[in-house]
Amino acid sequence: MSKRSVHNKIKKRYSRSILALSGTALTLSSMSYADAPPTQSTVSIKSTNYQEDDLLSNEVLFGELSRYDIDVHQFQLVTPVTRNSSLQVNGSYDSLSGASPWFTSANSEGEPIVNLSGASGIYDTRRELSIGGSYYLENETVNLSIGRSAENDYNAAFINFGFTHQLNNRLTTIGVNTSISNDEIFPTDAEKFNRIKSASKRSVSTALSISHIINRFSAYQTAISVTNQKGFLSDPYKLRDVRPNSKSQYAWTNSFRIFFEKMDAALHSNYRLYHDDFGIGSHTVDFSWHQNLSTYIPFDLRFVPSIRYYTQSSANFFTNIDDFSSDPLAPQSSDYRLAAFGAISAGINFIADLNNLRITAGGERDQAKSKYSAYNVSRPSTALVRFSRISIGFDFSY
Amino acid sequence: MTLIQKHILGLLVLLSTLNLTACVEVRAWEKGYLAKEEMAWNPDILEDALAKHIFFSKEASSGSSSAAGGGCGCN
Repeated sequence: MSKRSVHNKIKKRYSRSILALSGTALTLSSMSYADAPPTQSTVSIKSTNYQEDDLLSNEVLFGELSRYDIDVHQFQLVTPVTRNSSLQVNGSYDSLSGASPWFTSANSEGEPIVNLSGASGIYDTRRELSIGGSYYLENETVNLSIGRSAENDYNAAFINFGFTHQLNNRLTTIGVNTSISNDEIFPTDAEKFNRIKSASKRSVSTALSISHIINRFSAYQTAISVTNQKGFLSDPYKLRDVRPNSKSQYAWTNSFRIFFEKMDAALHSNYRLYHDDFGIGSHTVDFSWHQNLSTYIPFDLRFVPSIRYYTQSSANFFTNIDDFSSDPLAPQSSDYRLAAFGAISAGINFIADLNNLRITAGGERDQAKSKYSAYNVSRPSTALVRFSRISIGFDFSY
Repeated sequence: MTLIQKHILGLLVLLSTLNLTACVEVRAWEKGYLAKEEMAWNPDILEDALAKHIFFSKEASSGSSSAAGGGCGCN
Protein backbone atom coordinates (compact mmCIF):
# COMPACT_ATOMS: atom_id res chain seq x y z
CA MET A 1 0.00 0.00 0.00
CA SER A 2 1.46 3.40 -0.94
CA LYS A 3 2.14 6.13 1.61
CA ARG A 4 -0.53 8.32 0.05
CA SER A 5 -3.26 5.67 0.26
CA VAL A 6 -2.34 4.93 3.91
CA HIS A 7 -2.43 8.66 4.63
CA ASN A 8 -5.82 9.02 2.90
CA LYS A 9 -7.21 6.07 4.82
CA ILE A 10 -6.03 7.49 8.16
CA LYS A 11 -7.38 10.94 7.20
CA LYS A 12 -10.74 9.44 6.26
CA ARG A 13 -10.96 7.48 9.51
CA TYR A 14 -9.88 10.58 11.50
CA SER A 15 -12.53 12.73 9.77
CA ARG A 16 -15.16 10.11 10.50
CA SER A 17 -14.11 10.03 14.17
CA ILE A 18 -14.40 13.81 14.43
CA LEU A 19 -17.79 13.63 12.72
CA ALA A 20 -18.86 10.82 15.00
CA LEU A 21 -17.83 12.84 18.06
CA SER A 22 -19.63 15.96 16.88
CA GLY A 23 -22.56 13.75 15.97
CA THR A 24 -22.46 12.35 19.48
CA ALA A 25 -22.98 15.80 20.93
CA LEU A 26 -25.93 16.33 18.63
CA THR A 27 -27.49 12.93 19.12
CA LEU A 28 -27.02 12.91 22.86
CA SER A 29 -28.98 16.10 22.75
CA SER A 30 -31.76 14.45 20.78
CA MET A 31 -31.63 11.31 22.94
CA SER A 32 -31.96 13.16 26.21
CA TYR A 33 -33.45 16.41 24.93
CA ALA A 34 -31.11 18.43 27.13
CA ASP A 35 -27.41 18.47 26.54
CA ALA A 36 -24.73 20.27 24.58
CA PRO A 37 -25.35 22.80 21.81
CA PRO A 38 -24.34 21.85 18.27
CA THR A 39 -20.61 22.18 17.61
CA GLN A 40 -20.95 22.80 13.89
CA SER A 41 -23.42 24.28 11.45
CA THR A 42 -25.63 22.02 9.35
CA VAL A 43 -27.63 22.96 6.28
CA SER A 44 -30.28 20.45 5.23
CA ILE A 45 -32.50 20.36 2.18
CA LYS A 46 -35.03 17.74 1.23
CA SER A 47 -37.38 17.37 -1.73
CA THR A 48 -40.36 15.05 -1.74
CA ASN A 49 -43.01 14.10 -4.26
CA TYR A 50 -46.29 12.98 -2.70
CA GLN A 51 -48.82 11.38 -5.03
CA GLU A 52 -52.29 10.07 -4.18
CA ASP A 53 -53.73 7.29 -6.33
CA ASP A 54 -56.53 8.23 -8.72
CA LEU A 55 -60.02 7.16 -7.80
CA LEU A 56 -61.70 4.58 -10.05
CA SER A 57 -64.42 5.83 -12.39
CA ASN A 58 -67.02 3.62 -10.67
CA GLU A 59 -66.17 5.29 -7.34
CA VAL A 60 -66.87 8.81 -8.60
CA LEU A 61 -70.08 10.33 -9.91
CA PHE A 62 -68.76 13.80 -10.67
CA GLY A 63 -65.43 15.62 -11.03
CA GLU A 64 -61.78 14.83 -11.56
CA LEU A 65 -60.48 11.33 -10.80
CA SER A 66 -56.95 12.46 -10.02
CA ARG A 67 -56.31 13.43 -6.40
CA TYR A 68 -53.50 15.41 -4.81
CA ASP A 69 -50.04 15.55 -6.28
CA ILE A 70 -47.76 17.60 -4.03
CA ASP A 71 -44.12 18.62 -4.30
CA VAL A 72 -42.54 19.57 -0.98
CA HIS A 73 -39.18 21.33 -0.61
CA GLN A 74 -37.79 21.71 2.90
CA PHE A 75 -34.83 23.65 4.24
CA GLN A 76 -33.17 23.76 7.65
CA LEU A 77 -30.18 25.55 9.12
CA VAL A 78 -28.89 24.70 12.59
CA THR A 79 -25.90 26.70 13.74
CA PRO A 80 -24.15 27.45 17.03
CA VAL A 81 -24.30 31.11 18.06
CA THR A 82 -22.33 31.12 21.31
CA ARG A 83 -20.96 28.29 23.46
CA ASN A 84 -24.38 27.99 25.08
CA SER A 85 -26.81 28.84 22.34
CA SER A 86 -27.85 27.88 18.85
CA LEU A 87 -30.08 29.17 16.09
CA GLN A 88 -32.46 27.16 13.92
CA VAL A 89 -34.19 28.30 10.74
CA ASN A 90 -36.74 26.12 8.96
CA GLY A 91 -38.50 26.72 5.68
CA SER A 92 -40.72 24.76 3.36
CA TYR A 93 -42.47 25.31 0.06
CA ASP A 94 -45.28 23.02 -1.12
CA SER A 95 -47.05 23.15 -4.48
CA LEU A 96 -50.25 21.18 -4.79
CA SER A 97 -52.60 20.19 -7.59
CA GLY A 98 -55.46 17.71 -7.89
CA ALA A 99 -59.01 17.25 -6.72
CA SER A 100 -60.62 16.81 -3.31
CA PRO A 101 -63.94 15.22 -2.24
CA TRP A 102 -66.76 17.81 -2.49
CA PHE A 103 -69.77 15.87 -1.28
CA THR A 104 -71.09 12.31 -1.11
CA SER A 105 -74.34 10.90 -2.43
CA ALA A 106 -75.96 7.51 -3.06
CA ASN A 107 -75.74 5.66 -6.36
CA SER A 108 -78.69 3.81 -7.95
CA GLU A 109 -78.14 0.89 -5.55
CA GLY A 110 -78.10 3.15 -2.48
CA GLU A 111 -74.34 2.77 -2.02
CA PRO A 112 -72.28 5.86 -1.10
CA ILE A 113 -70.43 7.49 -3.98
CA VAL A 114 -68.04 10.42 -3.89
CA ASN A 115 -68.20 13.63 -5.92
CA LEU A 116 -64.89 15.38 -6.33
CA SER A 117 -64.21 19.09 -6.72
CA GLY A 118 -64.67 20.61 -10.22
CA ALA A 119 -63.03 19.45 -13.41
CA SER A 120 -60.40 22.17 -13.16
CA GLY A 121 -59.15 20.75 -9.85
CA ILE A 122 -57.29 22.66 -7.14
CA TYR A 123 -53.96 24.50 -7.35
CA ASP A 124 -52.35 25.91 -4.26
CA THR A 125 -48.99 26.67 -2.73
CA ARG A 126 -47.88 26.72 0.88
CA ARG A 127 -44.88 28.58 2.26
CA GLU A 128 -43.70 28.18 5.83
CA LEU A 129 -40.84 29.86 7.64
CA SER A 130 -39.88 29.54 11.28
CA ILE A 131 -36.94 30.77 13.30
CA GLY A 132 -35.94 29.66 16.75
CA GLY A 133 -33.20 29.62 19.31
CA SER A 134 -32.04 27.27 22.02
CA TYR A 135 -30.14 28.11 25.19
CA TYR A 136 -28.24 25.35 26.98
CA LEU A 137 -27.52 25.25 30.70
CA GLU A 138 -25.78 22.46 32.55
CA ASN A 139 -28.91 20.35 32.92
CA GLU A 140 -31.55 22.42 31.18
CA THR A 141 -32.40 23.51 27.67
CA VAL A 142 -34.80 26.30 26.71
CA ASN A 143 -36.19 26.59 23.16
CA LEU A 144 -38.29 29.33 21.63
CA SER A 145 -39.42 29.56 18.02
CA ILE A 146 -41.90 31.56 16.00
CA GLY A 147 -43.20 30.88 12.52
CA ARG A 148 -45.70 31.66 9.86
CA SER A 149 -47.24 29.68 7.02
CA ALA A 150 -49.19 31.10 4.09
CA GLU A 151 -51.38 29.48 1.46
CA ASN A 152 -53.57 31.09 -1.18
CA ASP A 153 -56.55 30.81 1.17
CA TYR A 154 -55.01 30.10 4.60
CA ASN A 155 -52.57 31.81 6.97
CA ALA A 156 -51.18 30.55 10.25
CA ALA A 157 -48.88 32.20 12.78
CA PHE A 158 -47.43 30.14 15.60
CA ILE A 159 -45.11 30.30 18.58
CA ASN A 160 -43.51 27.36 20.35
CA PHE A 161 -41.80 27.20 23.75
CA GLY A 162 -39.94 24.20 25.14
CA PHE A 163 -38.04 23.43 28.33
CA THR A 164 -36.18 20.28 29.37
CA HIS A 165 -34.47 19.30 32.58
CA GLN A 166 -32.14 16.38 33.21
CA LEU A 167 -32.04 14.61 36.55
CA ASN A 168 -31.15 11.26 38.09
CA ASN A 169 -27.50 11.44 36.98
CA ARG A 170 -28.67 12.49 33.53
CA LEU A 171 -30.53 9.25 33.02
CA THR A 172 -33.93 10.91 33.05
CA THR A 173 -35.13 13.95 31.14
CA ILE A 174 -38.43 15.70 31.69
CA GLY A 175 -39.74 18.12 29.12
CA VAL A 176 -42.61 20.50 28.59
CA ASN A 177 -43.55 22.02 25.27
CA THR A 178 -46.29 24.53 24.46
CA SER A 179 -47.44 25.80 21.10
CA ILE A 180 -50.03 28.40 20.13
CA SER A 181 -51.26 28.79 16.58
CA ASN A 182 -53.63 31.43 15.20
CA ASP A 183 -55.09 30.43 11.84
CA GLU A 184 -57.22 32.32 9.34
CA ILE A 185 -59.07 30.92 6.36
CA PHE A 186 -60.52 32.95 3.50
CA PRO A 187 -61.91 30.45 0.94
CA THR A 188 -61.60 31.13 -2.76
CA ASP A 189 -64.80 31.66 -4.76
CA ALA A 190 -66.64 32.32 -1.49
CA GLU A 191 -69.50 34.30 -3.07
CA LYS A 192 -69.84 32.03 -6.09
CA PHE A 193 -70.31 28.90 -3.94
CA ASN A 194 -71.90 30.58 -0.89
CA ARG A 195 -68.93 29.73 1.33
CA ILE A 196 -67.99 31.56 4.49
CA LYS A 197 -65.91 34.61 3.50
CA SER A 198 -63.36 34.37 6.27
CA ALA A 199 -63.00 32.62 9.61
CA SER A 200 -60.38 31.92 12.24
CA LYS A 201 -59.37 29.35 14.78
CA ARG A 202 -56.87 29.12 17.64
CA SER A 203 -54.99 26.00 18.69
CA VAL A 204 -53.17 25.65 22.00
CA SER A 205 -51.13 22.51 22.48
CA THR A 206 -49.09 21.33 25.47
CA ALA A 207 -46.96 18.20 25.75
CA LEU A 208 -45.27 16.72 28.81
CA SER A 209 -42.62 14.08 28.29
CA ILE A 210 -40.33 11.85 30.33
CA SER A 211 -37.36 10.09 28.73
CA HIS A 212 -35.37 7.49 30.62
CA ILE A 213 -32.21 5.57 29.80
CA ILE A 214 -32.92 1.97 30.78
CA ASN A 215 -29.42 0.55 30.25
CA ARG A 216 -26.43 0.92 27.90
CA PHE A 217 -28.51 -0.22 24.95
CA SER A 218 -32.06 1.04 25.41
CA ALA A 219 -34.17 4.06 26.29
CA TYR A 220 -37.84 4.76 26.74
CA GLN A 221 -39.94 7.87 26.41
CA THR A 222 -43.55 8.53 27.34
CA ALA A 223 -45.48 11.72 26.67
CA ILE A 224 -48.94 13.15 27.03
CA SER A 225 -50.17 15.94 24.80
CA VAL A 226 -53.36 17.97 25.04
CA THR A 227 -54.55 20.21 22.21
CA ASN A 228 -57.52 22.54 22.34
CA GLN A 229 -58.92 24.11 19.20
CA LYS A 230 -61.53 26.85 19.13
CA GLY A 231 -63.11 28.62 16.19
CA PHE A 232 -64.07 27.54 12.70
CA LEU A 233 -63.21 23.82 12.43
CA SER A 234 -65.40 22.91 9.43
CA ASP A 235 -64.24 22.42 5.85
CA PRO A 236 -65.61 25.37 3.84
CA TYR A 237 -64.96 23.62 0.52
CA LYS A 238 -67.40 20.81 1.21
CA LEU A 239 -71.00 21.24 0.17
CA ARG A 240 -72.29 20.14 3.58
CA ASP A 241 -69.79 20.21 6.44
CA VAL A 242 -70.71 21.43 9.92
CA ARG A 243 -68.47 20.60 12.87
CA PRO A 244 -68.51 21.80 16.49
CA ASN A 245 -66.64 25.06 17.20
CA SER A 246 -64.29 23.50 19.71
CA LYS A 247 -62.27 20.34 19.91
CA SER A 248 -60.06 18.79 22.59
CA GLN A 249 -57.48 16.18 21.60
CA TYR A 250 -55.53 13.89 23.93
CA ALA A 251 -52.60 11.75 22.89
CA TRP A 252 -50.39 9.40 24.88
CA THR A 253 -47.23 8.40 23.04
CA ASN A 254 -44.65 5.78 23.99
CA SER A 255 -41.30 5.31 22.28
CA PHE A 256 -38.66 2.65 22.80
CA ARG A 257 -35.17 2.48 21.30
CA ILE A 258 -32.83 -0.49 21.57
CA PHE A 259 -29.42 -1.09 20.03
CA PHE A 260 -28.28 -4.60 19.04
CA GLU A 261 -24.50 -4.63 19.38
CA LYS A 262 -23.82 -7.82 17.41
CA MET A 263 -26.03 -6.77 14.51
CA ASP A 264 -24.87 -3.12 14.59
CA ALA A 265 -28.50 -2.08 14.28
CA ALA A 266 -31.16 -0.22 16.23
CA LEU A 267 -34.88 -0.90 16.57
CA HIS A 268 -37.33 1.98 16.98
CA SER A 269 -40.86 1.31 18.17
CA ASN A 270 -43.57 3.86 18.85
CA TYR A 271 -47.14 3.58 20.00
CA ARG A 272 -49.77 6.32 20.32
CA LEU A 273 -53.20 6.17 21.92
CA TYR A 274 -55.47 9.05 20.90
CA HIS A 275 -58.90 10.34 21.82
CA ASP A 276 -60.84 13.52 21.02
CA ASP A 277 -64.25 14.91 21.84
CA PHE A 278 -65.47 14.48 18.26
CA GLY A 279 -65.69 10.84 19.40
CA ILE A 280 -62.62 9.65 17.52
CA GLY A 281 -60.21 7.21 19.13
CA SER A 282 -57.13 5.80 17.43
CA HIS A 283 -54.12 3.54 17.80
CA THR A 284 -50.86 4.09 15.93
CA VAL A 285 -47.93 1.69 16.06
CA ASP A 286 -44.76 1.85 14.02
CA PHE A 287 -41.44 0.07 13.87
CA SER A 288 -38.25 0.93 12.03
CA TRP A 289 -35.02 -1.04 11.80
CA HIS A 290 -31.82 1.04 11.43
CA GLN A 291 -29.20 -1.28 9.95
CA ASN A 292 -25.59 -0.09 9.61
CA LEU A 293 -23.72 -1.53 6.63
CA SER A 294 -20.35 0.17 7.08
CA THR A 295 -18.70 -3.18 7.92
CA TYR A 296 -19.26 -4.34 4.36
CA ILE A 297 -18.63 -1.19 2.32
CA PRO A 298 -15.96 1.55 2.34
CA PHE A 299 -18.28 4.34 3.58
CA ASP A 300 -20.99 4.75 6.21
CA LEU A 301 -24.32 3.52 4.90
CA ARG A 302 -27.49 2.75 6.78
CA PHE A 303 -30.75 1.39 5.49
CA VAL A 304 -33.98 1.81 7.37
CA PRO A 305 -37.05 -0.26 6.53
CA SER A 306 -40.17 0.80 8.43
CA ILE A 307 -43.77 -0.25 8.86
CA ARG A 308 -46.71 1.61 10.41
CA TYR A 309 -50.25 0.62 11.31
CA TYR A 310 -52.97 3.16 12.09
CA THR A 311 -56.62 2.70 12.92
CA GLN A 312 -59.30 5.14 14.04
CA SER A 313 -62.98 5.13 14.93
CA SER A 314 -65.40 7.53 13.28
CA ALA A 315 -66.54 10.94 14.54
CA ASN A 316 -69.98 11.05 16.16
CA PHE A 317 -71.33 13.16 13.30
CA PHE A 318 -69.68 11.35 10.37
CA THR A 319 -71.92 10.21 7.54
CA ASN A 320 -70.90 8.53 4.30
CA ILE A 321 -73.92 9.92 2.42
CA ASP A 322 -74.56 13.64 2.93
CA ASP A 323 -78.03 14.40 4.23
CA PHE A 324 -79.14 17.75 2.81
CA SER A 325 -82.56 17.56 4.44
CA SER A 326 -81.29 17.66 8.04
CA ASP A 327 -80.93 20.77 10.24
CA PRO A 328 -78.26 22.87 8.45
CA LEU A 329 -76.67 23.79 11.80
CA ALA A 330 -76.49 20.22 13.12
CA PRO A 331 -72.97 18.73 13.02
CA GLN A 332 -72.52 16.53 9.97
CA SER A 333 -69.54 15.71 7.77
CA SER A 334 -68.66 13.16 5.09
CA ASP A 335 -64.93 13.96 5.30
CA TYR A 336 -63.17 10.60 4.92
CA ARG A 337 -60.70 11.67 7.65
CA LEU A 338 -63.54 11.45 10.15
CA ALA A 339 -64.53 7.90 9.08
CA ALA A 340 -63.52 4.65 10.76
CA PHE A 341 -60.65 3.06 8.85
CA GLY A 342 -57.24 1.49 9.10
CA ALA A 343 -54.06 2.28 7.20
CA ILE A 344 -50.87 0.36 6.59
CA SER A 345 -47.64 2.04 5.50
CA ALA A 346 -44.30 0.59 4.54
CA GLY A 347 -41.18 2.52 3.66
CA ILE A 348 -37.45 2.33 3.22
CA ASN A 349 -34.69 4.90 3.51
CA PHE A 350 -31.00 4.81 2.63
CA ILE A 351 -28.60 7.15 4.44
CA ALA A 352 -25.03 7.58 3.18
CA ASP A 353 -22.43 9.57 5.13
CA LEU A 354 -19.64 10.94 2.94
CA ASN A 355 -17.51 12.98 5.36
CA ASN A 356 -19.30 16.34 5.65
CA LEU A 357 -22.11 15.40 3.31
CA ARG A 358 -25.00 13.12 4.09
CA ILE A 359 -27.39 11.88 1.41
CA THR A 360 -30.78 10.43 2.29
CA ALA A 361 -33.10 8.80 -0.23
CA GLY A 362 -36.27 6.88 0.38
CA GLY A 363 -39.87 6.12 -0.34
CA GLU A 364 -43.10 5.15 1.35
CA ARG A 365 -46.40 3.55 0.36
CA ASP A 366 -49.55 4.05 2.43
CA GLN A 367 -52.92 2.42 1.89
CA ALA A 368 -56.06 3.21 3.90
CA LYS A 369 -59.00 0.79 3.83
CA SER A 370 -62.14 0.23 5.85
CA LYS A 371 -61.30 -3.45 6.23
CA TYR A 372 -58.00 -2.61 7.95
CA SER A 373 -59.90 -0.94 10.80
CA ALA A 374 -59.75 -2.45 14.30
CA TYR A 375 -62.90 -0.49 15.09
CA ASN A 376 -66.43 -1.20 13.97
CA VAL A 377 -67.09 0.35 10.53
CA SER A 378 -70.81 0.99 10.23
CA ARG A 379 -70.44 3.69 7.55
CA PRO A 380 -67.46 2.99 5.30
CA SER A 381 -66.03 5.98 3.46
CA THR A 382 -65.58 5.74 -0.30
CA ALA A 383 -62.84 8.36 -0.43
CA LEU A 384 -60.02 6.82 1.61
CA VAL A 385 -56.54 7.71 0.41
CA ARG A 386 -53.77 5.56 -1.03
CA PHE A 387 -50.52 7.44 -1.55
CA SER A 388 -46.85 7.03 -2.42
CA ARG A 389 -44.00 9.38 -1.75
CA ILE A 390 -40.35 9.49 -2.70
CA SER A 391 -37.76 11.86 -1.34
CA ILE A 392 -34.12 12.82 -1.47
CA GLY A 393 -32.27 14.95 1.06
CA PHE A 394 -28.82 16.42 1.62
CA ASP A 395 -27.21 17.55 4.88
CA PHE A 396 -23.99 19.50 4.73
CA SER A 397 -22.03 20.16 7.92
CA TYR A 398 -19.21 22.69 8.24
CA MET B 1 -63.07 -6.72 27.85
CA THR B 2 -63.13 -4.47 24.76
CA LEU B 3 -60.33 -4.24 22.23
CA ILE B 4 -59.21 -0.86 23.57
CA GLN B 5 -59.14 -2.14 27.16
CA LYS B 6 -57.00 -5.07 26.00
CA HIS B 7 -54.58 -2.65 24.32
CA ILE B 8 -54.33 -0.50 27.46
CA LEU B 9 -53.75 -3.57 29.63
CA GLY B 10 -51.01 -4.75 27.27
CA LEU B 11 -49.35 -1.36 27.44
CA LEU B 12 -49.44 -1.28 31.22
CA VAL B 13 -47.76 -4.70 31.31
CA LEU B 14 -45.10 -3.45 28.89
CA LEU B 15 -44.51 -0.30 30.96
CA SER B 16 -44.23 -2.31 34.16
CA THR B 17 -41.65 -4.57 32.51
CA LEU B 18 -39.64 -1.58 31.39
CA ASN B 19 -39.79 -0.04 34.84
CA LEU B 20 -38.42 -3.25 36.38
CA THR B 21 -35.38 -2.98 34.14
CA ALA B 22 -35.01 0.74 34.74
CA CYS B 23 -32.81 0.54 37.81
CA VAL B 24 -29.49 -0.02 35.99
CA GLU B 25 -26.94 2.72 36.52
CA VAL B 26 -25.41 3.89 33.21
CA ARG B 27 -22.28 6.02 33.51
CA ALA B 28 -21.50 8.83 31.06
CA TRP B 29 -18.77 6.76 29.36
CA GLU B 30 -21.19 3.89 28.86
CA LYS B 31 -23.57 5.92 26.70
CA GLY B 32 -21.71 5.29 23.44
CA TYR B 33 -24.46 3.19 21.87
CA LEU B 34 -27.16 5.53 23.11
CA ALA B 35 -25.29 8.43 21.52
CA LYS B 36 -25.37 6.84 18.08
CA GLU B 37 -27.49 8.81 15.69
CA GLU B 38 -29.69 5.82 14.86
CA MET B 39 -30.69 5.73 18.54
CA ALA B 40 -32.04 9.30 18.58
CA TRP B 41 -35.75 9.81 19.16
CA ASN B 42 -35.91 11.62 15.79
CA PRO B 43 -32.79 10.87 13.72
CA ASP B 44 -34.05 12.90 10.73
CA ILE B 45 -35.84 16.09 11.79
CA LEU B 46 -37.04 17.05 8.28
CA GLU B 47 -38.38 13.54 7.61
CA ASP B 48 -40.12 13.51 10.98
CA ALA B 49 -41.71 16.93 10.35
CA LEU B 50 -42.92 15.90 6.89
CA ALA B 51 -44.31 12.55 8.01
CA LYS B 52 -46.20 14.23 10.86
CA HIS B 53 -47.58 16.82 8.46
CA ILE B 54 -48.76 14.18 5.98
CA PHE B 55 -50.47 11.99 8.58
CA PHE B 56 -51.92 15.06 10.30
CA SER B 57 -53.58 16.01 7.02
CA LYS B 58 -54.82 12.49 6.13
CA GLU B 59 -55.91 11.18 9.53
CA ALA B 60 -57.95 12.60 12.41
CA SER B 61 -55.26 12.07 15.05
CA SER B 62 -52.35 14.25 16.01
CA GLY B 63 -50.11 14.75 19.00
CA SER B 64 -46.69 13.52 20.06
CA SER B 65 -43.95 14.28 22.56
CA SER B 66 -43.76 17.83 21.19
CA ALA B 67 -46.57 20.32 20.91
CA ALA B 68 -48.22 20.83 17.53
CA GLY B 69 -46.90 23.65 15.33
CA GLY B 70 -48.80 25.81 12.89
CA GLY B 71 -51.97 24.70 11.22
CA CYS B 72 -52.63 24.34 7.54
CA GLY B 73 -55.61 24.39 5.22
CA CYS B 74 -55.23 20.65 4.76
CA ASN B 75 -57.16 19.68 7.90
